[in-house]
Amino acid sequence: EVAYSQSTGQKEQLSRCLQRGIRRVQDLCKVLQLPVAFEETAVCYLQRALQLPAFHLASLEKKELLGGCCVLVACRQRRWPLTMGTVCSLLYAQHEAFAGVFLSLQRELGISVPALSLADLVATHLSSFRLVQPSASVPAAFLEDKEKLLARTVAIVELASETWLVTGRHPVPVVTAAAFLAWQSLRPGPRLSCPLARFCRLAGVELPPPAHLRLRELLDILLAMASQLSWLRGFRLDKKSVVKHVGELLQHRLFLLKHAFSQQEQQGTAPGQDSGSHSPAVAQQQGCPSAGQGQRGGTLRPLLPPCLIHPRKRLRAVAPSAPATATTGDEPISDSEIEQYLRSPEEIQAFRKAKAW
Amino acid sequence: MDADSDVALDILITNVVCVFRTRCHLNLRKIALEGANVIYKRDVGKVLMKLRKPRITATIWSSGKVICTGATRILLFLLYSEEEAKFGARRLARSLQKLGFQVIFTDFKVVNVLAVCNMPFEIRLPEFTKNNRPHASYEPELHPAVCYRIKSLRATLQIFSTGSITVTG
Repeated sequence: EVAYSQSTGQKEQLSRCLQRGIRRVQDLCKVLQLPVAFEETAVCYLQRALQLPAFHLASLEKKELLGGCCVLVACRQRRWPLTMGTVCSLLYAQHEAFAGVFLSLQRELGISVPALSLADLVATHLSSFRLVQPSASVPAAFLEDKEKLLARTVAIVELASETWLVTGRHPVPVVTAAAFLAWQSLRPGPRLSCPLARFCRLAGVELPPPAHLRLRELLDILLAMASQLSWLRGFRLDKKSVVKHVGELLQHRLFLLKHAFSQQEQQGTAPGQDSGSHSPAVAQQQGCPSAGQGQRGGTLRPLLPPCLIHPRKRLRAVAPSAPATATTGDEPISDSEIEQYLRSPEEIQAFRKAKAW
Repeated sequence: MDADSDVALDILITNVVCVFRTRCHLNLRKIALEGANVIYKRDVGKVLMKLRKPRITATIWSSGKVICTGATRILLFLLYSEEEAKFGARRLARSLQKLGFQVIFTDFKVVNVLAVCNMPFEIRLPEFTKNNRPHASYEPELHPAVCYRIKSLRATLQIFSTGSITVTG
């Protein structure tokens, strides 16, 4: 018995471009081990897209990427955690080109693509770690139980989400940094000396460049929270020693977040804010959770997006012109103003000689 | 944000794109030779001309179509307006007249305006996107902001978690 899709009858009705696209979609689904329903949905989107002029007349390179985009959309709609980075690496595609085709597909077909679920992404990301399976290349002290690692990582990712470390950022570096912290905290003794790069090598995953920054931000948050735990106040915690207490900090995180970053009675401006209307009091009034100033060893640390705490140099606004000199667009233009944009005859000659026109 | 709170927001126009036609053929080679502040892109068949006041860059085609865009210096945001865009376009047309072309300034139209605004609060982008589908789209793997499209106004807003909003349309 031969399925109709494998018979020649169906292929005769389809264009070569569509046949190639369908084959690409089927290959991707096979590599990613996706259920059959995903493949059918992706093929359906591909057929619809190739009927539209925006894709029918597109370059072959874009049509190659279109199959991957359809698979990604199908996965997202069924909450299957698949990142764009994975699809790009399977297609050997440039990230920018893939992004362009993906956004065009969304727009042209008018489909709503749900956001990538972080919790699902964590589960998928950790399942590819070699540290959760016994292996000759992984020391015994570094092996970890998958369920425990997953639970701890999800809790740290939720903490990152509540403290503005996830919004507006690529999710994979956050998940990598959270997994590293979770792994270290579950058995700190032999693991504290292992750096992030070695952890990723042992786990068999790539180290995304921003992961170091996300790790540093997470440790800052944990240190601020640890300062509120009464039995830890006597200790001088640093970025290494605080990892041993991650379990306790996560257990009481709602209380600790509220108290570590609650607004002080004396309000000053939070550091790095350039707008006068952007004060912590206003921010808290607006419903931003736990926004305000906190003190840790004398330093102010409001719970705000990191780009507000450490802003880049902001552009200075030009002073607006007075109402009396407001432009209407129909002002007279004097000849002298225009002369500056024209070359003199001598300059024209010199330029012509230099360019040899 | 309370409904009763009265917070003034500054909306700054940072760029205006406009087009106009000269109703005559333009010799790009002559413009490149006799005009100052001019870049001749022979391979794509256009000339770029920069004016100082207002600070605009004009793209000129031989068909007589001209597109003017505002320019920003590295350290300054330039406050820009549609009136200044028209004034700049007229100055450019006048410059072309001085070069000897029979320019008639017609079909002036503002095609795009870029403005920025800062909200006095932070925005949780995933929740915002969830509550504003299908207008809002958020892909953190591609861009750190939410893209909010208003079809009726043909405007696109980029909303950042810091509360900064960029409006194009």
